[in-house]
Amino acid sequence: MTGSRSAAVDPARPVSPGGTREASVFAGRRHDADPRVDADWTRRRVLATNLRALVGRAYPRIRGMAREPSWVLFEILLPFLTTSAFVLVYRALAAPEAYVGFVVLGGALSAFWLNVVWMMASQLYWEKSQGNLELYFAAPMNLMSVLLGMAIGGLVMSSTRAIAVLVVASLVYGVAFDVQQWLLLGVVFLLTMTALYGLGMMLASLFLLWSREAWNLANLMIEPIWFVSGLNFPVGRLGMLGALAIATIPFAVGLDAMRQLVFADQASLLGTPAPEVEALILVAMTAVFVALARWMMRTIERMARGRGSLSIRWQ
Amino acid sequence: MSAFRRAGDDAGTTPFAPSAVAEAGAGDTLRAFRTAALLGWRVESNWTDPALFFIYTVARPIASLLLFVVMIQIVGGGANEEIRTFVILGSALWASLVAGIAGPAWSVLEDRERYRMLKYLYVSPASFLVLLVGRGLARLAAGAIGTVIALVFAIVVLGLRVDLGRVDVPLLLATLALGIPPIIAIGVLLGAVCLQTRQESWSYPDAFAGSMFLVTGVVFPLAVLPDPVEVVGILNPITWWVAGVRHAVLPDGPTSIGGAGSVWTAVTGSAVPDAATIVLALFVTGALTTLAATAVFRASERRARDLGLLDRTTGS
Repeated sequence: MTGSRSAAVDPARPVSPGGTREASVFAGRRHDADPRVDADWTRRRVLATNLRALVGRAYPRIRGMAREPSWVLFEILLPFLTTSAFVLVYRALAAPEAYVGFVVLGGALSAFWLNVVWMMASQLYWEKSQGNLELYFAAPMNLMSVLLGMAIGGLVMSSTRAIAVLVVASLVYGVAFDVQQWLLLGVVFLLTMTALYGLGMMLASLFLLWSREAWNLANLMIEPIWFVSGLNFPVGRLGMLGALAIATIPFAVGLDAMRQLVFADQASLLGTPAPEVEALILVAMTAVFVALARWMMRTIERMARGRGSLSIRWQ
Repeated sequence: MSAFRRAGDDAGTTPFAPSAVAEAGAGDTLRAFRTAALLGWRVESNWTDPALFFIYTVARPIASLLLFVVMIQIVGGGANEEIRTFVILGSALWASLVAGIAGPAWSVLEDRERYRMLKYLYVSPASFLVLLVGRGLARLAAGAIGTVIALVFAIVVLGLRVDLGRVDVPLLLATLALGIPPIIAIGVLLGAVCLQTRQESWSYPDAFAGSMFLVTGVVFPLAVLPDPVEVVGILNPITWWVAGVRHAVLPDGPTSIGGAGSVWTAVTGSAVPDAATIVLALFVTGALTTLAATAVFRASERRARDLGLLDRTTGS
């Protein structure tokens, strides 16, 4: 019999005034084991626990979509209207129709960037304010699984908005896609997402260091990033600034690669690396961001423990 | 005598008695408003040093401005000077608008979800609506700094040409002043929405403001829209606010409301609304929007109290 089962009838357990033996809060666990021995988990158990943490963190984001219907209006309809405004600017300027397609694709992908900024980068800072962060650190799991769960939940949330904007805007504005390399397009999309959410995981760690600056800096990462990433125009038109964005911002390089693949042979997209090269840049970004996120999480956790700032709120 | 003092002098009552709130005079309201505005400004600005705050305040409007300028530059080169000026002015004004709209909504979310102070503010003697308006005005002030800096940037760096001698100062001042209440009212309306929703609502003000790009003639004339959507724009005070500022700064510039093919020209027969019409339209649409927003906010407030939403915290 395991220690946990025997604990329920342990004669040494205190007896309550009513005569019944008090139930262990560790029911299902060995109450008498040394915690260090107890924590000597098998690799399988570690994996299963981290997987549970990942699913548990992704769950509220995915399930929450059904519980708060207002997001349909604010996350799908209104962003579609915003995208429409940019389309109409090009129409008012009598721009080539290809630019309408650029805007629609940029509008769809912007959902992922917003999600990374608001629901990845700011999230641990937010959890700190809400009092959940210390629970995360105290739980027997790797914090990276929490970050990954956040990323997967956020990805699902943003995908609905991105797909809705893409489909509706394409139909309304008659965008003609010309995809010649579907496989590469799929690979580039996945790499863009891994690089973007890798960046989000890294920023989430970094934002733990900050207080209210984190919130304001997240706010600052919207229009400026959209501008240098060429949200509504080919990023190559920005010259050196665009090249710098392609080298450092996954949103910029992913958007440009997808534009090249979705609107094949568009002369206005010339001047940036080929999609295959940009895919390699995204691979490198993913590796760097995830590795940095892992390193920063450990380092910043150690620093924050030293400074006693993990549970400081509302500053 | 202030209601607070009356309540304090009256044995058996406390300054927090509902009757004191009900009898709060203009002085009490003004004091609550001033305190809320000051608090809002401090929340906005004291998180960092002035240099970083300055960068933060101007980076978004300037980036937003450049987004449009590059779009125009790519498509039309330097040929569209008139359109460029039109878009720059509208885009710079947008910084104030977004800030004003987001202020009350974010105050609700910050005070409820982050600082957990909403319930205490709610039971304070001051009117909750007055507190929100004060917070919204502080944010609008921060946004106005962004607008001014973006305009200076446009003049100095982008070569925006404004003849200061031709600026219609009375119209400019009247439009700016009359525009403040409806902007804050729209923010209060979103605050009413955020009272009912969970913490993801942070992005709602931005999304709402973004959608208004479409119907307010900020970056293109309303005439390019389908007629029913154009009518929605004409009924929107923001449309008149932007048009009024544009008309005051660039009297001979293109209009966002009238012009060939527009509903305005078809109905009124005039190509461009004159200054008096703009001020009157801004006043009327602004007053209606403010009244409607107040009514919606009151209804939302009642529902939030009924359902216990004032101290709810959420996560995702």
